[in-house]
Formats: sequence, structure tokens, C-alpha cells
Amino acid sequence: MDYVPHSQIPGHKVKQTGAVSLKGIKKQFNFKDRELKVLSEFSLDVQPGEFVSIVGPSGCGKSTLLRLIAGLDDTYDGTITLDGQRVAGTSLERGLVFQDHRLFPWMTLEDNIALALTNRQISKDAKAKLVADHIALVGLKGFEKAFPHQLSGGMAQRAAIARSLVNEPKVLLLDEPFGALDALTRVHLQGELQRIWLAQGSTMIMITHDVEEALYLGDRVVVMQANPGRITHTVDVNLPHPRDRASPVLHRLKDEILAELTNVPEAPNSVVRLIKGDDQ
Amino acid sequence: MKPDLKLILSVSSPLLLLIVWQAVTAFKLFPPEVLVSPTAVVAAFGEVIATGELQRHLSESLTRLAGGFTTGASLGLLFGLALALSKTVEQVFGPTFQALRQIPVLAFIPMLILLLGIDEVFKIVIIAKAAFFPVALAAYDSVKGVPKSYFEVSSLYRAPWWVLISKILIPATIPNILAGVRLSLTRSWLVLVAAELIVADSGLGQMMEMGRQMFRLDIVMVGVIVAGVIGFGLDRLFQLLQAHALRWKTA
Ligand SMILES: Nc1ncnc2c1ncn2[C@@H]1O[C@H](COP(=O)(O)OP(=O)(O)O)[C@@H](O)[C@H]1O
Ligand SMILES: [Mg+2]
Repeated sequence: MDYVPHSQIPGHKVKQTGAVSLKGIKKQFNFKDRELKVLSEFSLDVQPGEFVSIVGPSGCGKSTLLRLIAGLDDTYDGTITLDGQRVAGTSLERGLVFQDHRLFPWMTLEDNIALALTNRQISKDAKAKLVADHIALVGLKGFEKAFPHQLSGGMAQRAAIARSLVNEPKVLLLDEPFGALDALTRVHLQGELQRIWLAQGSTMIMITHDVEEALYLGDRVVVMQANPGRITHTVDVNLPHPRDRASPVLHRLKDEILAELTNVPEAPNSVVRLIKGDDQ
Repeated sequence: MKPDLKLILSVSSPLLLLIVWQAVTAFKLFPPEVLVSPTAVVAAFGEVIATGELQRHLSESLTRLAGGFTTGASLGLLFGLALALSKTVEQVFGPTFQALRQIPVLAFIPMLILLLGIDEVFKIVIIAKAAFFPVALAAYDSVKGVPKSYFEVSSLYRAPWWVLISKILIPATIPNILAGVRLSLTRSWLVLVAAELIVADSGLGQMMEMGRQMFRLDIVMVGVIVAGVIGFGLDRLFQLLQAHALRWKTA
């Protein structure tokens, strides 16, 4: 199948902003008696409007990486820029969705989303409209006054996505956003996230441990390895969105990534599969 | 459970207690000078109300409680917050605080009498001391216990500090702080009645002490019952306030 850049997909708005550049990132945690090197010489360039998926074994520094980009942690070596500007601290231009929804239990859904707008110098009406629009965007109309404990896991995660989008960030960082959800809800929300991405055109960097999810959504899949965390492999997914989950290309890429993750060369893996197939 | 059944169940144990009490006195298991009958207590209750004695002592006690509790609880709140938010305060006062709170309030009474005499100040101080520690401890623990993730979310959206305090820190800590305040209210009342029993010229405890000295055990029992009912009522009132403040939990 020919590669269709996402910028040419009908209906996909691509903004000219949202280029994220990571150069030579080194991050370590210092303990009393030792230091833990978490990221080493990590470099990655993400194009405006691109969807990059990151997969890697747990503990390889994926969450740490997103926290650095988000500005929650400023102690690292190397440079992180957004549209050429060095990032320092948190900013409304960079949104972050955690694996747990992190909604405040004492606030209604709309109050939770409105909290994200407390630093915006816009009128009350404009804020209310932004909140309402984003609740509608994630399909939660009618639940404005609901408290988080009244929402299902999937709904709460949608609410968290709405909150992270309400400031229309140039880049949205997602840290295993669907990791805690059941398989069916996950598939459903993947579709929703894709629809939102195609409509909004912001850059997305998503961490996931689900290789299929990474391939289904990503323009590019980055594979990391641990100790220290670094990129060992990059896969371009030259398929238009939305994709056919059953596509043979995706399956071949999945095998390639899984092989990389388990550090087993690709060929023996295929042989094993062939033999198994013969047995049946 | 049906509300009327709930009511029946909740009054059943005090009722049983009353029946046992009446039976014990009817069979004269104890001399009547030691254990008076419920009917005698009802009569004494009527008497102290008619003379206005109960009202006078009770209002004295409640005024003291209000003064001491409010002082102690507010100071406790401020101190607990300072202890949790400032490293310096924690280093300087932390160990002393942890040690002092282990000493029972009543153990301070002899020393405080020497220092302050038995005037009003003494009673206020002793109640304030009782109210101070549960609130201080609750405030300290709950602020220390605010999850880091709350601060991170606030930082991600660059919420101004007053939003952080009013919309995040206060709601996050209020359940535990209120529980501490409730405990301190009950403690204050217990300590107040106990302190009045030992030294006072007025108040519910003193009414009981005077009754004891005059062998009016019926009046002592009136005091015991009123102390219990007031303590129970204060706790209940506070519980309602707590439920109101924490509506979101059950909404
Ligand atoms: N705040 C921290 N202090 C010390 N070590 C940390 C901290 N955060 C993460 N780590 C360590 O850094 C490594 C990478 O963590 P993380 O980025 O959460 O991995 P991943 O998200 O890929 O599973 C782990 O070994 C983890 O224990
Ligand atoms: Mg992680």
C-alpha cells in the first residue's frame, strides 16, 4: 500500500506548530549511595501533527521521558524544544494524560475540566463554552454534573482526555492512557482518540505497552530498551488512517516489534510459527 | 433498613440500661444512698431545672467549652499546617510536639493549678490543650498525605496558588481535619467536665461535685446523664456538619 502522509488525509487538520525535538537527553535519579541512569543519549524529532507511539519494557524510562517533556521534572541533561523553544516547567502548550485519570473526586466532571482553565485570561462564558465543547468532543454530554466515582473507567479516562485538550495544547503526551481499561473499551477509545487527533491536528506522543495499539494509531513506533533507556528501533507505519486492524502490514510490523522487544531475531520466530502451523 | 426499625434498634439499648437500673434499685442490690433510682433522678432533674441551677452550671460549662475549644482547635489547625508545610517548623517543633501529645491532659492539671490558679484562664487553657492536639495532628497528617499527583495536576494546568489551596488542598484535607476537630470537640467536653469536678466554682462538673459532698447522688446522676447527652449531642451535631461538608462522597 502506498504511503499517505497524514497531512494528506482528507479532514485531517495539520497545524504547523507542535514540533517536539529531544536532543541527547540524559536523566538519572540520585539515591544516597548510588545513581540510577534512566535515560541515556535519548534523541527524537517529532513532526508537527505527527502521532508517535513509544513502546518498551516497563522501567525503561518511558514515563520519566514524558514527565520531562511535560515539564514536571527539570533536572536532566540535553535539550527539549517545542517549535524551537526550549521547554522550561509546565505549560498549557503541552498536555499530559496519565494512566490513572487523576480527576479530583470532589469536583464534578465539568469542574474538573474547568480547573484546567483557571490560568486562562478569558471570559467566564468563553470558559464555559470550551468546557462544554470538550465534554461533547469526548462524548460525555449529559454527564457534566457527575462526580468521577459515578463514571466508568473509560468515561473517566475520556474526561481526563477532555481536560488535557481543553487548552488546545500543541502537543498531547499520553502515558499508557488506556492501560487500565478492559480490551473492548480500549479498542473503542483508540478509535475516539484517533478521531480527535484527526480533527484537532495536534502532535501526539503516546506511550503504550500494547504493540497493536501503538501500530494502529502511530505514524511511527519507537521501540525503547532499558538500562539505560534508549531507542533501539523505529518503525514507520506507512498506512493511511483510520487503519484496518487486520492489515497484514500491521501484523508483520507487530512481529518485527515484538521480536525487537524480546530481543529474538525475526527469522527463528517465523520458523517457530510455521512449525506450529504445520502441526495443526 | 426501614427508618422506624432503625429508630427502635437504636433506642433499645438505652432502654434496656434503664430497665436494668430500675430493677437493680427496686431490688435494693445497692444502698439507695449509693445507687439512686431512675425516678429519684427524674425528680432531681425537675428540681435543678426549677431552681435554675442546671441551666446556670450548664451555660457556664458550654461557654468555657466554646472558648477553650475554639482557641485550641484554631491554634492546633494553624500549628499543624505550619508543621506540615515548613521544614524549619517541623525540625524545631516536630519532636516536642510528638512527645507532648503523649501526655494525658489531666496530668497537666496540678502544674497548671500552680501556674494559673483555679481561675477561668486555667480551665480555658486545659480545654484548649485537649482540643489542640487532635486538630494539629489531623492537619499535619492530612497535608502530608496529599498525593503528589494532586500537585502535579495543578502544576500541569498552571493553576494559581489560591486555586491550589481553595480547590485542591482544602477539599483534599478537609475530611481528615474535620475528623480531628470532631475528636477534639469530644475530648474537650470530657476534659472540661473532669476539670470542673476537680477545681471550679461553677459548671456541670462542679454541680456534680457539690451534689456528692451533700450526699445528693440523684443530682450527681443528673450531671452524669446531662454530660453524656451533651457530649453525644455535640458529636452528632458535628457529624451532620461533616456529612454536609463531604456531600460529594455520597452524591
Ligand atoms: N522519582 C523517582 N525517583 C527514583 N527513581 C525513579 C523515579 N521515577 C522513576 N524512577 C525509576 O526510573 C526507572 C524508569 O521509570 P519509569 O520512567 O516510570 O519507567 P516506565 O514508565 O518505562 O515503566 C525505574 O527504574 C524507576 O524505578
Ligand atoms: Mg510508566
